[in-house]
Amino acid sequence: MTLAIELLALPFVACAVLAGIHAYFGLHVLGRGVIFVDLALAQVAALGMTAALLAGHGPQSDAAYYYALAFTALAAGVFALARRPESPAGAHAVPQEALIGIVYAAAAALTVLALDRVPQGGEQIKQLLVGGLLGVTADEVARVAALYAGVGVLHWLCRRPLLTLAAGGSVPHAAAWDFLFYLTLGLVVTSSVRIAGVLLVFSYLIVPAVVGTWLADSLPRRLVVALVIGVSVSALGLGAAFAWDLPTGAAIVATFAAALAATALFRGAVALARRLRRDGARILRATAGVAGALVFLLGAGLAVFPGADHFWLDVIERAAPAVRDVFLTAAERQVVAESAAAIERGTAELGRLRALQADAQWGTRDLGPEQRERLRQFLAGRDELVAGDRLVLRTLRQRVRERQRFVVGVPLALGGAAVTVAAMVAPRWRRRRRGESPRMPPATPAEVSRTSRC
Amino acid sequence: MLLPLVAAATITVAATTTDLRDLVAAVGGERVRVESLTDPRQDPHAREIHPRQLALLGKSDVLVRVGLDHEPWLARAAKAVTPPAHDVDCSRAVTLLGTETPRLRADRGAHVHAFGNPHYWLDPENAHGITAAIADALGRVDPDDRALFDENRRRFLARLDAGLARWRSRLAPYEGTRVVAVHDTWPYFARRFGLVVAGTVEERPGVPPSPAYVGQLIERMRASGVRVVLAEPGAPGALVRRVADGAGARVVTLAPSVGADPQATDYLALFETNVARLADALAGLR
Repeated sequence: MTLAIELLALPFVACAVLAGIHAYFGLHVLGRGVIFVDLALAQVAALGMTAALLAGHGPQSDAAYYYALAFTALAAGVFALARRPESPAGAHAVPQEALIGIVYAAAAALTVLALDRVPQGGEQIKQLLVGGLLGVTADEVARVAALYAGVGVLHWLCRRPLLTLAAGGSVPHAAAWDFLFYLTLGLVVTSSVRIAGVLLVFSYLIVPAVVGTWLADSLPRRLVVALVIGVSVSALGLGAAFAWDLPTGAAIVATFAAALAATALFRGAVALARRLRRDGARILRATAGVAGALVFLLGAGLAVFPGADHFWLDVIERAAPAVRDVFLTAAERQVVAESAAAIERGTAELGRLRALQADAQWGTRDLGPEQRERLRQFLAGRDELVAGDRLVLRTLRQRVRERQRFVVGVPLALGGAAVTVAAMVAPRWRRRRRGESPRMPPATPAEVSRTSRC
Repeated sequence: MLLPLVAAATITVAATTTDLRDLVAAVGGERVRVESLTDPRQDPHAREIHPRQLALLGKSDVLVRVGLDHEPWLARAAKAVTPPAHDVDCSRAVTLLGTETPRLRADRGAHVHAFGNPHYWLDPENAHGITAAIADALGRVDPDDRALFDENRRRFLARLDAGLARWRSRLAPYEGTRVVAVHDTWPYFARRFGLVVAGTVEERPGVPPSPAYVGQLIERMRASGVRVVLAEPGAPGALVRRVADGAGARVVTLAPSVGADPQATDYLALFETNVARLADALAGLR
């Protein structure tokens, strides 16, 4: 536990600092409808860093940072000008997202071209994507915290024009305010990407803001929700990375996705319950129709492609092995049981022997060269045996799928299709029995006047 | 009139790395024109091939490659042009390490180095087998010069063996020293020079490590007194610094290939540079 705190304390503080400023900027970005501007600015910053590398500066040097800032300022100017209402409109108007996408693609392509001439170019790109959250230093965190506090104060002082523009309103000298917004966003993104990488920074910007917009009405409340989400997801993601042995940045991004999905499910369930109360039978029919279609797809998938992966069936068989066993002969059932037991035994033994090998490798246990070589060979052999047993299970599962094809797949497909069709035709059939005409759209005023003339 | 005839008689060889390029040049001498398809300063696994290199591959008489899964881009490149008639997979000429990974992979997980560790050129002893395979291929293209290729090879290996004796004696005082590597690049080098690579910073090659793994690594380094981290020029700086600072270790940057470092100008200089850096670092710890 002490080790976890020692390793994760600084990354967590860095995440909390990032969560604060990005939650605020995220609400602006959502309001303006320029979702991918962050990715475009991050890519332009990467291009700036690459230019610095070409000029002979190191990837972590101050010069690389200032190159990145200069390039980002240029992009900020382009984005600020592109949004102006006085820019060409009508048939030639294009959404600002198109320009953002073009800037992203062009900057990415130029970065690839330039990095081809730079030592370890591919590595630089990879590190820019995943970041180096685990390696963050106290000095770096203090520097970005001071910078973001400054940006926050500046935005507080200029809050009126910036919030009006984010809400779609107009203010005098809008181009200048837009430029200030994109410039400060570029400054924040350039600094954050060096610590957390492009993917994580995008998640900090967009996901908390989306959840805040879903769950709250006013800007201050949305900001509070976004902050709480950003900080708690950081803690959960870092904890998950430590507990389940996962790459840190990717684990936090996945936790953000899970938080967003959970919120969406919650909102969906609330909306469904509300509609059920209001319009119960119709909603139940629609739900049954969708469920029937899903069952049809799963059943048809098994019937047509028995050799493909059918995870839903794997889950069912794991919970109730009888679903699988009924399609196996007595001899095959015995092979399955023996292979499963052998895998369990082999995996446990491999774990124990690998720990022994690691101890010998680290010098905490004394093993002679001959013993070490024998251990290595034994491990190699045991590894192959476990892999072989897994292959046996996989082959037998394929055999089971072939047999389930017509007995499980076809009836499921037919049953699912029947439920969907019934859900679709039941209202019409009931109306016909009652002698009602099918529901028609309301007549337009023109039709009404035509009818009255007749 | 003579120049085109000489040029036509030259054997064109495409090597996938600069290390193999140097070994081909050592064996072929003036009878070959050899180029490397990759830049040693870029990730060899994630190569995007250029049109000029495709043209080189298409017009070459011999392809010399590392093999295993070291050049995933090569299969696509070989489909785009007619590949050379003579294909030398140097991994068949050496005894591989790290082949324990099961090939009966029922779980079909993605894995770099799945067929054994491909960094075998980092053991100078392996140059014997590699150059034998190269000399054999060149001899098949140009049987008249077989004796010349064998003589070139013998002279090169004599220089290499003299160098190997020198390098081994330089690192002999540190035999059995435990080190940690960033990427799983150094098992052949470590075995030849008596070092023990106790662990790697990347738990799985090419995947960033988890905090739990990094924590365990730092603890083990502290407990076992491991005070050297072997890094390559492209290693993730912040992470390596974190591990080294946590364990009180020193980072030594070694060149994994000819040209990956300005001082590693050829195959012999590669070992000269790496051995000198390592010996200096280990001496500084005493």
